[in-house]
Amino acid sequence: MKAGDALVLKKSDALMFFASLANEMRLVAPRHLFGGDVMFGVVESPKEIVWDYGHDIYPPKRFLLPHFEDMFRCENGKTARIENLADAPAQAIIGIRSCDVMAIRFQERFFASQIVDPYYKSRSDNTVLFSLVCNKPPKKECFCICCDAGPYLDSGFDVQLTDLGDRFLYEIGSEKGAKATEPGAYMLSEAGAPDFDVRRRIELQVDSLFETTAYIAKAINFISEDEVPSQVWEELGSMCFRCAACTNLCPVCTCYTVDDRPEADGSFTRCRSWDSCQYSGFTREASGHNPRPTFGARVQRRFYHKATYQYIMRDGKHGCVGCGRCVSACLTKLDLPSVIKRIRRAMHEYLEPQEKAAEV
Amino acid sequence: MKPVLTTCGFCSCGCALYVEPADSRVVGLHPSENHPVSTGRLCIKGWNATPAVMGADRLKTPLIRKADSLEPASWDKAISFAASALKRILADSGPQSIGVIGSAKTTNEECYSLVKFARCVIGTPNIDGAHRFYDASLIHALLETTGTPASQIDVNSVAQAGSMLVVGANVMEQLAHIGSRIQDAAENGCRVVAADPRTSRIAPQTSLFLHPTPGTDLTWIRALLKTIIDRKLYVDHAPEIPGFEELVVSLDDVQAGRLEDACGIDPDAVGEAAQILASNPPLVVMFGLGVLQQFESSRIVKALADVAVLLGGSVMPLRGQNNAQGASDLGLSHDLLPGYRPLTDPGARKVCEILWDREPPTEPGMSAVDMILGCRSGAIKGLMIFGENLALSAPNTEETLSALDKVDFLAVSDLYLTETARLADVVFPACSFLEKDGTFTNIERRVQRVRKVFEPIGESKSDLDMIADLASALGRDISREPAKVMAEISADVPQYQGVSFKALDESWGQQWPLKGAAPKLTPVPAAAAESDREYPFRLIASRVNYHQQTGTMSARSTVLAREYPEAYAELNEGDAEKLGVRPWQPIRISSKSGALIRTLMLSASVPVGCVHVPHFFGGDSPNSLASYECDAVSGVPVYKACAVKVEAVR
Repeated sequence: MKAGDALVLKKSDALMFFASLANEMRLVAPRHLFGGDVMFGVVESPKEIVWDYGHDIYPPKRFLLPHFEDMFRCENGKTARIENLADAPAQAIIGIRSCDVMAIRFQERFFASQIVDPYYKSRSDNTVLFSLVCNKPPKKECFCICCDAGPYLDSGFDVQLTDLGDRFLYEIGSEKGAKATEPGAYMLSEAGAPDFDVRRRIELQVDSLFETTAYIAKAINFISEDEVPSQVWEELGSMCFRCAACTNLCPVCTCYTVDDRPEADGSFTRCRSWDSCQYSGFTREASGHNPRPTFGARVQRRFYHKATYQYIMRDGKHGCVGCGRCVSACLTKLDLPSVIKRIRRAMHEYLEPQEKAAEV
Repeated sequence: MKPVLTTCGFCSCGCALYVEPADSRVVGLHPSENHPVSTGRLCIKGWNATPAVMGADRLKTPLIRKADSLEPASWDKAISFAASALKRILADSGPQSIGVIGSAKTTNEECYSLVKFARCVIGTPNIDGAHRFYDASLIHALLETTGTPASQIDVNSVAQAGSMLVVGANVMEQLAHIGSRIQDAAENGCRVVAADPRTSRIAPQTSLFLHPTPGTDLTWIRALLKTIIDRKLYVDHAPEIPGFEELVVSLDDVQAGRLEDACGIDPDAVGEAAQILASNPPLVVMFGLGVLQQFESSRIVKALADVAVLLGGSVMPLRGQNNAQGASDLGLSHDLLPGYRPLTDPGARKVCEILWDREPPTEPGMSAVDMILGCRSGAIKGLMIFGENLALSAPNTEETLSALDKVDFLAVSDLYLTETARLADVVFPACSFLEKDGTFTNIERRVQRVRKVFEPIGESKSDLDMIADLASALGRDISREPAKVMAEISADVPQYQGVSFKALDESWGQQWPLKGAAPKLTPVPAAAAESDREYPFRLIASRVNYHQQTGTMSARSTVLAREYPEAYAELNEGDAEKLGVRPWQPIRISSKSGALIRTLMLSASVPVGCVHVPHFFGGDSPNSLASYECDAVSGVPVYKACAVKVEAVR
């Protein structure tokens, strides 16, 4: 088994295949909660895996960067003793969508650059991503196709599964993926030309089915060149409900804050949790000065990160994978496609009169 | 561990949350995607719900007063200490010298058990809920008009409204899910008329924003009613609705010409509002604490209900606390039995007698504010407060604190050692909504399950457990099992018929039905508060996005507390200039009842002659500026539009 191999896993063998993997690592997969809700979580048995789940609202990035985590405990005594509380269990995230795989690759690069974040690194080292190709757009909010982050991947996955009806096309994309394939390798067979034909048909079809189209490229120019009038940002900021779900649930966003939970004797536990550039306290300085003093400025900040040259120069891609969670989680319409639309409209409203004036 | 589905304990929207525990920590929290309210979304408080209840300073053991300090004690000691104090007072001065104040943050089961404990174990008529300090003024007013002391529509129906009248509510910041539906409605063409002295964040959604002088809502709403009637904008059958004639007569003295002087509103704007609301059905009439804590609040609610009834619209009172609806439904009230039945209702008394094994008192007891006054006068010798920080929510803080200090016996149950708990003789450590089972009833009358996510922190207990312990120490038996209490509620309270944990566990909760009384119109005679030259400014008190009620929970979340580091007050630039004060300077805001110092900010959204004082985490509360003046019908204190003085602090 090696990266680049393309195999076939019969659906009738899938349970057994993942059960054999469960001996090596914990399985994280979409599973049913209440009333039609489906969410990623640790499954006891591969029987719980929901293969036709669509898309979840709470990104699986949290199995690498937990929403709330205890990092270490510092015990107060004659000599302070520090006990590491973070765990990094070996895990397979099964059924993760292409967009989320690409987002995790972003995060891995971010947390490995300059100062390596050991908590993130140990978790990502121990994680194998079994991504699942979207045969149709899982939700109307999805726009990965505008972000080159799905609905299927050419690279970046550890293992990529494509549902071909009675079987999965099983593509190995990395050494990690190859190693995780070993326990159940005997259940896999080589993929043949008909399998690739079906796969190709699926790819062509799904590409044409997306409802949400975010025409990002032009907006990236406007935002990067700082051409968007500040009134537009302020108008957008005035709609905001300040819940910060757009950034908390963004699979690319990496920001966190740390808090110390004190105990009576002076010992404390350092905890970290997701934080957001949409909060004023996030950028406010000790002097009271805030470089992002208004809601509009903070919305602008968010889009500098999601849709500018910045990431493109560094990573070759803009900072959005089109997962659609900022659409479904927003109490108003400050999701990426809506904001892009608003900016494009605003550029007409604000620029055209000036151009006309210039012509006269 | 598998995430536990529960109901958020902040506002009355009642979002369904999944909270994922790992030992005694929380590692994940997210909304339900399919729940009709949360729909995969939460407000900032919902996202920060767990740090708010898991503060490091949570009370972990009961505390008993020894001289000047509160010392940790065992539950046995604390319960027997409280029981013997209660027995002593009962023997010396009788049950009517004991008062019990419950909280609209606790579960339905806890509210109901507390009512039973007060009325039938102690035998006192003095039982009330802390919603008396917030929104209880809607209860009698709506019982007399729409017949339903609750919202007549669902949260999701808000998005389908054709027009909307939103009065005195900071709805975008305080009830985000309703605010979000208002945005949806406006986008679909709904015409929104808002009225608030201050320009609030609903402004971009409005077709018309009225800025009445604080405290004058009754005056302009009467003018609105008069316009609707004079122009015959009402629905065809309106003249046949009982009370129509009386309403018309009561509006005889409305003088449109004086509107501008009386409340700063152009009579034409009132005419425009009437036209918008009448010609864009369906109409939804919403109102918040701006109305519910105003002078003559009950009468304003009736006037707003009349607007809805005349135009064939629906009423949606915007209630703050997570279980304000349930606490009211279950009779946490000095003048009603559970299910809004009068204390003298023979049928209700019969059921209570059977279920409670003792006849409840027939006379109305003291309201929450009266109990504080009773502590001061000595009429109340023992006061028990469950889950409310009176030091910040009651009016006239200075007097209130000295009254609470004076009472012979004070028992407080809370998550944290609040300003109120510090005065107690015995403190019971309560557990949060994440540590117990039960139900809350949300703003759309939906009874929903609250489920235990992790074991109570330290030795804390649910109020239900405490009430059962106290009852048993007094020789009575009250169930400590939430499901059993709910079975009793469904047998007793008409609105909760058929509600059971089993049924709730199979659905997104059950909405209690809208049936019964046909709508009525009620007369709304004029009333006017007096102005006072010594205190020329009008107070506008509000809550910001990040703050909930008294902040006992929200202040513990570093993310929420961080957003709002400076206790500020806002003035219009012109007023600031006249007073000779500059931004970032401290200003002193005082009334006959109290004073507080805040940092000045300028704001164009604050009208001339007004000072805007937001509630702030810890320390002081604009409520301290209010006197004990209450709405005569409901006993809700007048917190809004207080006459105050603003000075520079030199």
